[in-house]
Amino acid sequence: MGPLGREIWAQRLGAFRASPSAFMAGPEGEDLGRDLLSDLRSEKLSEPMKVALLALSLEYPTQLWPDAPAAEAAATSLLDTLVLLPPRPSALRRPLLLAATTALAAGGALSPASGASGRLLPLLLGLASGRDLGRSFGPASEQRPLQATAWECLRELESCRPGLLGGCLGLLRALLGREGPAQPLSLLLALALRNALVIQARAGTGLQGLLTAGDSSMEGGPWNWTLAEEGDVHLQPQAPSWPVAEEGECGLAVLELSPEEARELRATVAQLLDASYLLTPVAQAQLLWLLGWALRGLRGQPPVLFKPQLVRLLGTAQLTLLHAMLALKAAFGEALFTAQDEALLLRRLTLAAQHPALPLPTHLFYLHCLLNFPENWPLGPTGEEAAPLLLGSQLCRGLLPSLLHEPMALLARLHLLCLLCLEDEEKEEKGQDRSPRHYLEELLAGLRQRAALDGGPRALATLCFQASYLVAHCLAGQPVVLTPLTQGLAQLYRTRPALAPHFIDLLDRVGPELQEHLRVALRQEVVSRPGREEALRWHLQMLARVADGDAQSATLSFLQAAATHCTDWGLQQALLRVCRALLRAGVGGGLADLLQALARQLEDPDGQDHARLYYILLAHLAGPKLGVALGPSLAAPALASSLVAENQGFAAALMVQEAPAPIQLSVCPRRAEGPVPVLRLQVEVLEPVYSLELRFHVEGQLYAPLGAVHVPCLCPGRPPRPLLLPLQPRRPTPARLAVRALYSTPSGLTCHAHLPPLLVTFADLFLPFPQPPEGAQLDFFEELWDSCLLKGTESRLWCPLGPEGLEALVSRHLEPFVVVAQPPVSYLVAIRLPPDSRLLLRLEAAQADGVPVALRTDDWAVLPLAGDYLRGLSAAG
Amino acid sequence: MAQRAVWLISHEPGTPLCGIVKFSRRYPTVEERAKVFNGASYVPVPEDGPFLKALLFELRLLDDDKDFLESRDSCSHINKTSIYGLPVGSEELWPVVAFLKNGMIYACVPLVEQTLSPRPPLISISGISQGFELLFGVQDFLSSGQKTDSELNTKLSQLSDLLLQTCPFGTLLDANLQNSLDSINFASVTHPQKQPAWKTGTYKGKPQVSISITEKVNSMQYDKQEIADTWQVVGVVTCKCDLEGSMPNVTISLSLPTNGSPLQDILVHPCVTSLDSAILTSSSIDAMDDSAFSGPYKFPLTPPLESFNLCYYTSQVPVPPILGFYQVKEEEAQLKITVNLKLHESVKNSFEFCEAHIPFYNRGPITHVEYKASFGQLEVFREKSLLVWIIGQKFPKSMEITLSGTIIFGAKNHEKQPFDQICIGGTAYLKLHFRILDYTLTGCYVDQHSVQVFASGKPKINTHRKLISSDYYIWNSKAPAPVTYGSLLL
Repeated sequence: MGPLGREIWAQRLGAFRASPSAFMAGPEGEDLGRDLLSDLRSEKLSEPMKVALLALSLEYPTQLWPDAPAAEAAATSLLDTLVLLPPRPSALRRPLLLAATTALAAGGALSPASGASGRLLPLLLGLASGRDLGRSFGPASEQRPLQATAWECLRELESCRPGLLGGCLGLLRALLGREGPAQPLSLLLALALRNALVIQARAGTGLQGLLTAGDSSMEGGPWNWTLAEEGDVHLQPQAPSWPVAEEGECGLAVLELSPEEARELRATVAQLLDASYLLTPVAQAQLLWLLGWALRGLRGQPPVLFKPQLVRLLGTAQLTLLHAMLALKAAFGEALFTAQDEALLLRRLTLAAQHPALPLPTHLFYLHCLLNFPENWPLGPTGEEAAPLLLGSQLCRGLLPSLLHEPMALLARLHLLCLLCLEDEEKEEKGQDRSPRHYLEELLAGLRQRAALDGGPRALATLCFQASYLVAHCLAGQPVVLTPLTQGLAQLYRTRPALAPHFIDLLDRVGPELQEHLRVALRQEVVSRPGREEALRWHLQMLARVADGDAQSATLSFLQAAATHCTDWGLQQALLRVCRALLRAGVGGGLADLLQALARQLEDPDGQDHARLYYILLAHLAGPKLGVALGPSLAAPALASSLVAENQGFAAALMVQEAPAPIQLSVCPRRAEGPVPVLRLQVEVLEPVYSLELRFHVEGQLYAPLGAVHVPCLCPGRPPRPLLLPLQPRRPTPARLAVRALYSTPSGLTCHAHLPPLLVTFADLFLPFPQPPEGAQLDFFEELWDSCLLKGTESRLWCPLGPEGLEALVSRHLEPFVVVAQPPVSYLVAIRLPPDSRLLLRLEAAQADGVPVALRTDDWAVLPLAGDYLRGLSAAG
Repeated sequence: MAQRAVWLISHEPGTPLCGIVKFSRRYPTVEERAKVFNGASYVPVPEDGPFLKALLFELRLLDDDKDFLESRDSCSHINKTSIYGLPVGSEELWPVVAFLKNGMIYACVPLVEQTLSPRPPLISISGISQGFELLFGVQDFLSSGQKTDSELNTKLSQLSDLLLQTCPFGTLLDANLQNSLDSINFASVTHPQKQPAWKTGTYKGKPQVSISITEKVNSMQYDKQEIADTWQVVGVVTCKCDLEGSMPNVTISLSLPTNGSPLQDILVHPCVTSLDSAILTSSSIDAMDDSAFSGPYKFPLTPPLESFNLCYYTSQVPVPPILGFYQVKEEEAQLKITVNLKLHESVKNSFEFCEAHIPFYNRGPITHVEYKASFGQLEVFREKSLLVWIIGQKFPKSMEITLSGTIIFGAKNHEKQPFDQICIGGTAYLKLHFRILDYTLTGCYVDQHSVQVFASGKPKINTHRKLISSDYYIWNSKAPAPVTYGSLLL
């Protein structure tokens, strides 16, 4: 493809800059890097357009050439383009050097193995040190800017790859003594020196003559990568000349230098500092930071070298210079700044933080520096903002807030004021009425007055609440401040209820010291003033946050009154949210009435449903369970929607959870009485269980469906009375009952468990006949006996007896059913088997080891069951 | 010390995005370092679109602040510096240095050479002050001499080239961008030894030194028993030294007459080579006494080529130049105002102009005015609800003038009439605007003979002086007024 036209490139660059990611994802994205490199050599494209292309590559090399091989190829191509430029003035040389440097450093291609690195580094060093590189490097007029650019490229490469220029330290030092621009050289030397010291300290070696060595790279030999390789492939976080960072982690292990090395180092640093006035203020600051870092970890290198610079720096208004001085202060503390120096620095900082000639962002930064001032002997814990000891109230006078300040300045100064109030309190009340605390109160009142302004911008309200929060946070332990604050805020709410969201936010964030009092005050504020309609929305929103179990009647009557005004859906929902809050707070009786009324009264079906739901929940759920049901869902805390959250809360709380059974169920010996057989069940629990419902299912539809059994509460160690389960057999036959339990746990969840099946035996169905009148028993039995044969059957069998004999067997198993007894040898037994069968037994002429039994039943199907039963009796004992 | 990216955004309220990115520059090599230094806490610099949106939201510059938004309006979301954390996706980009000045937002993201979690204190990040200096430099460049939109656009188009000079890899080399522009234009100057980096060439021509002292006086006057009036002079001394030689030495002295007010809080330009400790320690923080250093204030320096602010100072003069009171009484539908102004006898009674602006906030337009002025004329700006009392060039012999009047307002219309957050209820002020040439309130002056220049040729010395009012408020004494802590310490 031929070179693209100017318009096409302009269009492409525009589209790319609008959204680089979108462009790169598009069809033209893939070719952009390649086209750019090839068109840089096109003769059709103008120089300014080529500069624009290079500018793009300076900003987005990783998008154009996303991996190291691509970056290496791009850098090679850029260097080739540079070499091929005709020897006339060109605006492309500087950007080409910058672009090649950027491509290598940002693309991760800078390494001894990289051919482009091997070409670029000597080229840069040659240009920088002013060696003649031949005519290909353009006219003489371009040498100076190219030299400056080369220095900057080297500094950037050293920044990205510490130690890269370690081998050139001697050369750099020698160059610094000669003529030429001082700034780029000073900065590069300071950086390379700092990096070399860090790397050597980590390796535990000294400077090894690096500062005095001649330079091998200058003699055309291969680049010396030794130090860069030692410095790890990666950068190490190396900031902290700041004492806050833990000692030992500052990347500057303590380095011991030989006396000779120490002397050389001192000489180099002194040389750098002496020439520092030639640097621009920002560059001077960089130099001081670098040298501060470099010397911090060194033993026997007193920082007095910096002293001559300090007075000059103290006088300036330059942000970077004062900041660099603070860094030196942090790094060297008392070794560089005596107590008097510290006091002077603090005074300069204090005055700079309020100097009318400086802009607001500078003031704010200096205020930050004051509250984080690196003191020689800090008293408080590190990392916390505090007023330095030497910053007395006299010094602070000009730094206190006033309503005329910008919001940020006001908050920053307010913080300082709070710290002063704290100190003031510690010192004891002095009885003066213009104490900082009074001033604070007046200021807060002024802020509230502004926030109360109807139609005022939200920023004013926000500022008022931020200030209140800050004060409550800093002065949490001072009721003398918090009480008027609470009152003032309550009054603000009275004036402008539309600020309810701010109040709720404040309540959510302040500590308990203010929170509780403010909540009560706001609740009183709301319920004591039945809302006019426009404020009602806010009142309800507020009440949903502040309502609790106290002052129930006032709250409820407020709501009752409010209900008549809740005509639209939003208001109704707000009202119901308050009800919900009250439900959670455990408000009972009056609320039920209100909810019932709402369920009838609200026009909106959704509102009615909610009211009804809350009523049902209130009526049916115990307190803890209500709390869980209405509480915020733990399942998805990230979801902000109250609707979703509410539903999830319900879902988690009201959905039945499957659980292992905490209950053991067993069948007790039964009493044969009543019209139907009744199973007596014994329950044992392992943990408290509430609202237990046991559900039974008869397999095979042998019995009519069984009703559930309810138990309100079961506790371990307190066995309840047996539960009664009436059976309604459809056929007189044993059955298996599947059992499920539904219950609530103490944590409020509803659980569901399967219990082991219960067995209903044949004997469990036995019922006695009504007792015939005295004396008529035999006749009654004979009548039954005779009537059975009509549609039934008769059988005889041998019932074995144990050693105890017939009498014991009967009394144990058949007692309730005996109609006629002639102990110990003869019994006539009549058993009713629901639904409508009978079983008659004659046990007569018992012998030692058994008794012959004649049995009759009107139901054929019973016969085998009866046989089994009788044969099993002796075994049952 | 480096910056990861720089932006210039014009704030355009009323447009859909409320702003346009006018300029942006990213530094990919610094970004690579950020990745390594920040480790797991690294958050990449977003593209311009998302950055614009997040920044405007954080700075509260989007038009919509109707509803409470927790992420913006929460009481615990407190910013006490011009350094912000911007939500970008689910992460937060921090630190972002940003401020708004004259409708333009200046922003950059400094490199933090350590992990960001926990956040290191701002004071420990060298890139913060460097970032500020870069932005101030850009701001100075854009605002110097720039009046029209097309001039601004020309400057914006130069910015890319300038940053290639002064900040090629994200580390700032010189905050004075104008300097670099000049050096682009005069690239062929041969370099003598020890050329300072802040001086791009040498001057050729007639030697001359211009020094001008501008004093601004501000005041808050309450006319109340329990609140003290306050006033302060803020001075700036601007120099332009056209001298031959690469590093000419100059000493400039500021002098005070015998009854002059001592200069305090002196901040000097970095080109000043040494400072007397008396200059360094004279401060408004201390209580004044007779022993205060009263000059001469000597500043030895090596001047740069361009015009520069040699020093700033403040001073506490014994009396305000104009003492006044202002009373506003609300009577039914009308306001009755009384103003009294008195020029102090020691002040030069020769103004370039002198006006009293009397605004009425949070009210409707002015529908009717009746007034009586002992001196000067009154202009009425009905729609702006503003009265301007034009006093002119001179106070009368008595040095005292009065204005009284009755004003009636129409119905309030929120869009048209000015809103003010301070002037609530009866709180009201009038603001004085005046300028006096060839005069300073402190008496501070530059004696031509005291300027020492160690360079070839005897230079011509030009000196200028002027006094300007700035924030000169006189508050309605019949209502509460905002006070500073200083006014309460009677």
